[in-house]
Amino acid sequence: MRNILLIAQREYKEQVRGRTFLITTILLPAVFIGVFYLSFLSSKHSGTDKHIAVACSDPALASAIRTEILSDADAHSTVDLFAPEMPGMLMDSDRARLVSEVNNKSIDGFFWVDVPATGPIQATYEAQTAGDFVTSERLQSALNHALLRGRLVEHGISASAADALLQTVKVDTRQIKNGKEVTSNAISSFYSAYIMALLLTMTTMIYGLNVGRSVIQEKTSRIFEVMLATVKAGDMLTGKLIGIGAVGLTQIFIWIAAGAIFASSALGAQYLTGNLKIHISLLQIVLFAVYFLLGYTLNSALFAGLGATLETEQELQQYSPLAALPVWLSFSMILLISTNPNSIWVVAASLFPPCTPIVMFLRMGSQMPPLWQIGASIVLMLLAIAAVLWFSTRLYRIGILMYGKRATLPEMMRWLRYS
Amino acid sequence: MPVVELSAVTKAYQDKVAVNQLSFRIEPGQMFGLLGPNGSGKTSSIRMMIGITAPDSGSITLFDQPFSRSSLTRVGYLPEERGLYKKMKVLDQLIFMGSLRGLSADEAQKRAIAWAKKLDIAHAILKKTDELSKGMQQKIQFISALIHEPELIIMDEPFSGLDPVNATLLQDTLLEQKAQGKTILFSTHRMDQVEKLCDSIALIHQGNLVLSGRVREIKSRYKRDRVIVEFQGDDSFLRSPEIAQAKNYSGHVEIQLKDDGDAQKLLAEAASKATIFRFELMEPSLEEIFIQTVGGKVDA
Repeated sequence: MRNILLIAQREYKEQVRGRTFLITTILLPAVFIGVFYLSFLSSKHSGTDKHIAVACSDPALASAIRTEILSDADAHSTVDLFAPEMPGMLMDSDRARLVSEVNNKSIDGFFWVDVPATGPIQATYEAQTAGDFVTSERLQSALNHALLRGRLVEHGISASAADALLQTVKVDTRQIKNGKEVTSNAISSFYSAYIMALLLTMTTMIYGLNVGRSVIQEKTSRIFEVMLATVKAGDMLTGKLIGIGAVGLTQIFIWIAAGAIFASSALGAQYLTGNLKIHISLLQIVLFAVYFLLGYTLNSALFAGLGATLETEQELQQYSPLAALPVWLSFSMILLISTNPNSIWVVAASLFPPCTPIVMFLRMGSQMPPLWQIGASIVLMLLAIAAVLWFSTRLYRIGILMYGKRATLPEMMRWLRYS
Repeated sequence: MPVVELSAVTKAYQDKVAVNQLSFRIEPGQMFGLLGPNGSGKTSSIRMMIGITAPDSGSITLFDQPFSRSSLTRVGYLPEERGLYKKMKVLDQLIFMGSLRGLSADEAQKRAIAWAKKLDIAHAILKKTDELSKGMQQKIQFISALIHEPELIIMDEPFSGLDPVNATLLQDTLLEQKAQGKTILFSTHRMDQVEKLCDSIALIHQGNLVLSGRVREIKSRYKRDRVIVEFQGDDSFLRSPEIAQAKNYSGHVEIQLKDDGDAQKLLAEAASKATIFRFELMEPSLEEIFIQTVGGKVDA
C-alpha cells in the first residue's frame, strides 16, 4: 500500500506541477464558456435581420403578412411588399424579377403566396440560404395568423376582437419534484446539465488518455524494468490511476470553487439570470464527482492496457476515437433525452456503462432520474470497470516489457492467456 | 548459505527457450559474473531472480529463502535498458526510488546527496534528467540501484556506453561495495571485464549453462597453449613443428601451439636463432575458453 501511495504521489505532483495542468485548468473552462456563449448568441440571432419581399396576389393578405412579420420585433426584419406586373395576379415574370433581386443580393429572399380563385393557397419561401428553417417557420406562422385574422373579420368579428383572439400566450415551465411544484427554467436547466455533461466528457477523456500517454512514456523511457524490480505491476497501475485521477478531481474542484465564487459575486448575479441562471443541485455536484471517477477509471483502465501494447503516443492518438464513440452516441440522442428522459432507449443508454456519465447528466437537465437507476448505473459501471481492469492489467503486465513494435491482436490474446 | 540459487530453471517465450535447466549459486560477498553473448539468456535469468517474470519450471531462492517480493528491498538492480523519469528532477527521482525501497524521504535525500558528491554529479542534482548527458544519467541510475544499501547488487551490462574515466569510477565503486561485503552479480558479454573483476562465473549460451565455477579453477582446467614472443633477428623459428599458427606483427608474435606442442622446445629454438626480449606462455582468456567450449558458434 505504501508503494501504491508513493507512486500515486509522484504521478500527482509531476502532473500538477506540469504546464499542461495549468493550461487545461484555465483554458478548458474558458473554451467551454466561449463555445456556450457563442451558441447562445447564435441561437438568439438565428433568422434575424432578414430583408424579405412578400409577393401575394391578394394585396390585403400581403399587407397583413407584412404586419405579422414585423410584429416580431426581435427578428429585426425588413419586409417589402412586392407589386406584381398585373395587380391581383402573380406571373412567371414576377417570379423571375424576384429571383434576380435575390441573385443581386438586394433582398435575402421572397415569400411567394399565390391565392387562386379556387383551391388551396400555395406559399413558398425562396432565399439564398437553403437551411434557414427559423425564417421559414416565422413566415409560416405570419401567413397562418394573417389568414386566420382575415377569415375572422370576414365572418363579422371586429378587427380588435380578432386581435384579442389571436393573442399568443407564453408558456412557463414548472417541474413537479417529489409531488411539489417548483419553478424551473427549462432552457437554463438544460444548459446547466449540458455543460456538466460536456465537462465530464472532456475530463474523463483527457485523463483517460493521459494514463495511456503516461504508460507509453514510461515504456519508452524504459523505467518499467527498474520499477518492476521493486513494485508489482498491479501496484504500479493502481498508483498511476489513483494519482492521475486525483489530478482530475483537483481540477474539477478548482472549477467548482471558481464557478461558485463567480456565481456569488456581483458580476455573477448580473450575468447569471434568466436563461443563463445556473441550476445545479448539491446532488448533481456529488454525482459529478462520482461519475467522473467512474468514467475516468473505465477510460484510463482501457487506455492503460492499450498503452502497454503500443510504442508511440501517435499510435495512441489513433485509438482516441474509442473514447469518443460513447460521446458521439450519447450526444446523438440529445433531443430524445431532453424531451423524453424516461423513454426505454434513454434509460438503456444511461445504463450502458460507456455512455452512463454523459446520458445521466443530460437526463438531469430535464428530470432527475430515479435513484434506483442512478444506483444501477453505478453498479453496472463498477462491473464494467472490473472487467476492463481484468483485461488491462494482464495486457499491462506483459506489454510494458515488450519493446520494439506494436503488439498484434494474436500477441495480445497470447498475453491474456499467459497472465 | 547462498545469496542466490537457481535450480533447473527454465523459461520459454512462445517457441523460443530463453533459459534451459539453468542452475548456479552465488555465495555471499562474491563478485559473480553472468556471461554470455547477446541473446544468450542473461537478462531473462536476472528478470526471474528479481520476480519481473516467473520461471516455467525450476526454483529460485533469494537470501536462502524461496523467492518473495519482500526480499527485493535487499536487492539493488541496474537493468541493461536504463530507465529514468525524463522530466523529473534528479534529486526527486532518487528520493522516490529510495522511498520505494523502504527509506524515509529524509534519509533518501541525505544518501542521494552523499552519492552525488562521491560520483561527481552534485552540480546536476537539481536538474531534470533529460537535461543531462548519457554518462551522467548512467551515474544516477547507478546511485538509484545502490541508494538503499542493498546486500545483493545486480548489474546488467553496467559499463556499456561509458567513457573510460567514468567506467573506471563505477568499477572502483563496485569494488568498494564488494570490500564492504556486498554480493555482486555482474552480467555482461564483455568477458575481459569479468576476468578482472569476478571471483566466480556462470557462462551461458543459448539458454544453457556452458561453464561455471571460480574463474581461477576454470582457467586452470585449460592448458596454456598460447605464446607471446618479442624478438629481434632471424624469424625462422616461427616455422617450428611445435607451432600450429603464428601471427607476426614486426617482432611481436602471437603463437598458437599444436595440441602436443612443447613451449620449452620452442623457447630453445627461438633463443638459438634470435634475440628474445619476451617469451610468455599465456593462460587462455575467458573469451577463448568460451569459444573453445561452444565450438565457435557464437551469435553476437
